[in-house]
Amino acid sequence: MVMLSKLRRFRLVDDAGRHARLADLAVALLDGDYPPVTHLFFFSQAKKQFMRLPWEAVKSFNAHASRILVADLDAAEEVSLDALDHDVLLHHDILDALVLDLQNRRSTRANDLQLEEEDGKLLLRAADTSFQAILRRLTRGRYSRVATRTLYDWKYVEFLRGDPQAVRNGAGYHLRITRLPPGEIATLTNPLPYLHAAELITLLPDEKAADTLEAMSPERQLQVFEELDEEQAVKLLALMAPDGAADLIGRLQTKTMKRYLELLPKKQGERIIELLRYPEDTVGGIMTNDVVCVPVSLTVAETREQLRELLKEPDFVFLIYLVDDLKTRRLRGLISLRNVVTAQDDEKLEDLMDPYVTTLGALEPARDAAYRVINSHLAGMPVVGNEGQLLGVLCVDAAIVQVAPANWTAIAPRIFS
Amino acid sequence: MSQQPQPHGLEPLDAVEATSLPIHPRSVRAGLRLNLRGRSVHLRGLKRNPTGILRWLVILGPGLIATSAGNDAGGIATYSSAGAKYGYDLIWVMLIITISLAIVQEMCSRLGAATGRGLLDLIRERFGIGWALFGVSVVLIANGGLVVSEFVGIGAAMELIGISKYIAIPVAALALWSLVIFGSYGYVEKIFLLMTLVFFAYPVAAIMAHPHWGDVARGAFIPKIKLDSAYILIFVGLMGTTITPYMQLFQQSSIVERGAARRHYGTERVDAYVGSIFSNLMSIFMIIATAATLHVMGKTEIGSAADAALALAPVVGSSAKLLFGIGLLGASMLAGAVLPLATSYAISEAFGVPKGVNLDFRRARVFFTLFTALIIIGAGLALIPNLPVIQLLVIIQVLNGVLLPIILVFILLLINDQRLTGELKNTRLYNILGWGTFAMITTAVVVMLGGQLLDALGLHLFG
Repeated sequence: MVMLSKLRRFRLVDDAGRHARLADLAVALLDGDYPPVTHLFFFSQAKKQFMRLPWEAVKSFNAHASRILVADLDAAEEVSLDALDHDVLLHHDILDALVLDLQNRRSTRANDLQLEEEDGKLLLRAADTSFQAILRRLTRGRYSRVATRTLYDWKYVEFLRGDPQAVRNGAGYHLRITRLPPGEIATLTNPLPYLHAAELITLLPDEKAADTLEAMSPERQLQVFEELDEEQAVKLLALMAPDGAADLIGRLQTKTMKRYLELLPKKQGERIIELLRYPEDTVGGIMTNDVVCVPVSLTVAETREQLRELLKEPDFVFLIYLVDDLKTRRLRGLISLRNVVTAQDDEKLEDLMDPYVTTLGALEPARDAAYRVINSHLAGMPVVGNEGQLLGVLCVDAAIVQVAPANWTAIAPRIFS
Repeated sequence: MSQQPQPHGLEPLDAVEATSLPIHPRSVRAGLRLNLRGRSVHLRGLKRNPTGILRWLVILGPGLIATSAGNDAGGIATYSSAGAKYGYDLIWVMLIITISLAIVQEMCSRLGAATGRGLLDLIRERFGIGWALFGVSVVLIANGGLVVSEFVGIGAAMELIGISKYIAIPVAALALWSLVIFGSYGYVEKIFLLMTLVFFAYPVAAIMAHPHWGDVARGAFIPKIKLDSAYILIFVGLMGTTITPYMQLFQQSSIVERGAARRHYGTERVDAYVGSIFSNLMSIFMIIATAATLHVMGKTEIGSAADAALALAPVVGSSAKLLFGIGLLGASMLAGAVLPLATSYAISEAFGVPKGVNLDFRRARVFFTLFTALIIIGAGLALIPNLPVIQLLVIIQVLNGVLLPIILVFILLLINDQRLTGELKNTRLYNILGWGTFAMITTAVVVMLGGQLLDALGLHLFG
């Protein structure tokens, strides 16, 4: 076990007795949970050039004597820091940078790093985030206590570069963060600078990225979205719920918005355009139009068969809306998913459905409608057009957002604006 | 019958006439008509960007308010002292500082938009922990001094209104602390802002005092450098109070908080420029008003807030004290809350610890401890009996002036870092003006400190 703060005072000594002070170490982040050190860096005698030695040149590693024996210091190659864009250097890049501590679900700074020798390799083991680590660095080792309590296993630490481009260039990440639910990832990115958040979205798998993007605050969404490249942006828009996507796309600049609407897959594009037709403060402006509806004439067995396909995409699946036929979509009643699952195969939907449905009009004021949905304790209320055709559903979550105070996630004063 | 609502949900859907149009159709916003996928669609859900004067109000609103409130206790004291002591002689300095301030504030907004991060955060990541701690100490000293000055301002204002400062300051400290911690600060902030509107009386006072405009013009365009230690001191104080290190931190964080992005940087630039020009215009009027009333009467030393209030006498006569008191109280309360908050925010950011008032004490210990300590220490120091109020305020501004070059170097180095700012990197003109500002302030500080040092050694450089 050795801390980076101590390691930086190590001497490199070669067979000929030449020596130099270790300046930095490069790691291969892609290699497993604990990235191994791949190169050593030092300043040459003249103190001018930044030199690089591969880890293979190391003959022995003596932590007690603070010494690393290498074959030949002269064999090192000269490099410039700017040319090392693709390498990750422990001191230059990771130390002092923002890292995500997934165990505690927080962003923090790497004040020190812990490495461990194993089978002739030096592995990055943990990040120290304590104030003690700062003290160790400032006192240049005179204070050397390490509290294991504040060492966070590198396996659960995600290092972000603050550059969305890095992901596209194939930089290494743990990707353990992708195991967290989207809402938690979004919360985790809240205190991060927007470029870090954009980087994180870029590296998540598309489905998760779309859900995480939806869970972010509107301002942050926009900042992050504009950093994505076009291909990914369109992909995420296609995967988002149409109401979320419409809100986001409606805030883009007209030119960009037009372009994305043209690029989107036909079905999602149409849905978003449909939603954008309604003013923001009407039911149409906050409803979703990705709903499950089946013809009322089907039997339960036929319905189940159809649902297998229909349930794949929408977020709102608890209620199934029954319509005359899929063309006119005239609403006749509704049935819960539970009823479809528990009912007998040969029963007809018409006999099982609830025909007494409270509906909303698309142009009704959003706020009143939102209160009706919340007070009804239903998961959502259908929105119908003039001809009684089903247009969408006002879900309870959208309704809550509508009536909750604008800054309900942060009761804090907006100190900076 | 047709006015009767349909029995929705009471009869089967079939039996209910589907009418979803509201009985009184509301006027619907125009929205945008766009050509999409080969057909024309009318999108009412889109907001059209405000045009004309409305657009400018949206852009300028926050910046204008923030900077005009930036003329806090220390600012008023320094501008009043400058006007009383040297008449119109220092107005030219203000003109130069206006350019510098606009440049510096714009660089900070640009840095904020390009990186989405605060100043101390960037210092930590680019220059390491040592420099970050140095930056943190500079910010702590500069802002800590300012917090003291705000409480001194609160005390002085309340004494003008007739309440002892020994009661006013502790009450104000407790009030500010709890308002921020319990999250109701947002509402009160507007009241404080309204109170500062009183200072719009300064331009009126300046005009009504009938200053000799020829002298004003001479003071504005003919630089006059006096090698006199008090003059140099005020000179540095003017810079320190106008281009306060705190304002840079604040500007950058507010841009970050507002969610500006590097792709659309532009309007923020106008905000920074106009805000700087506007706030300095107010400052210049303060100097003119004081010069035209106090200086011409031969009253060149301002010893208390009551003296400074006399500058408003041409407008409001005998209620000058009360009016000045209200304005000073508003400005001091405003800054008294925001300063400790912004300071704890920036420092927590540098250490990567949780920050924000919406967290509880256990989760954001550093943040809350810093915030509380700043308020307690600030209020405590302001309670010391027999403080020479105005001199103390000026000295704190001078301290800010001394620390300013340090912050400026960081800003200039960061904004020129291509890897951070990319296309938003400084242009050559900006660098010339930026480093010029740095050189000007450093020279003034060095001359001042040199003079003080020699004075202490018994050598009188400045007569």
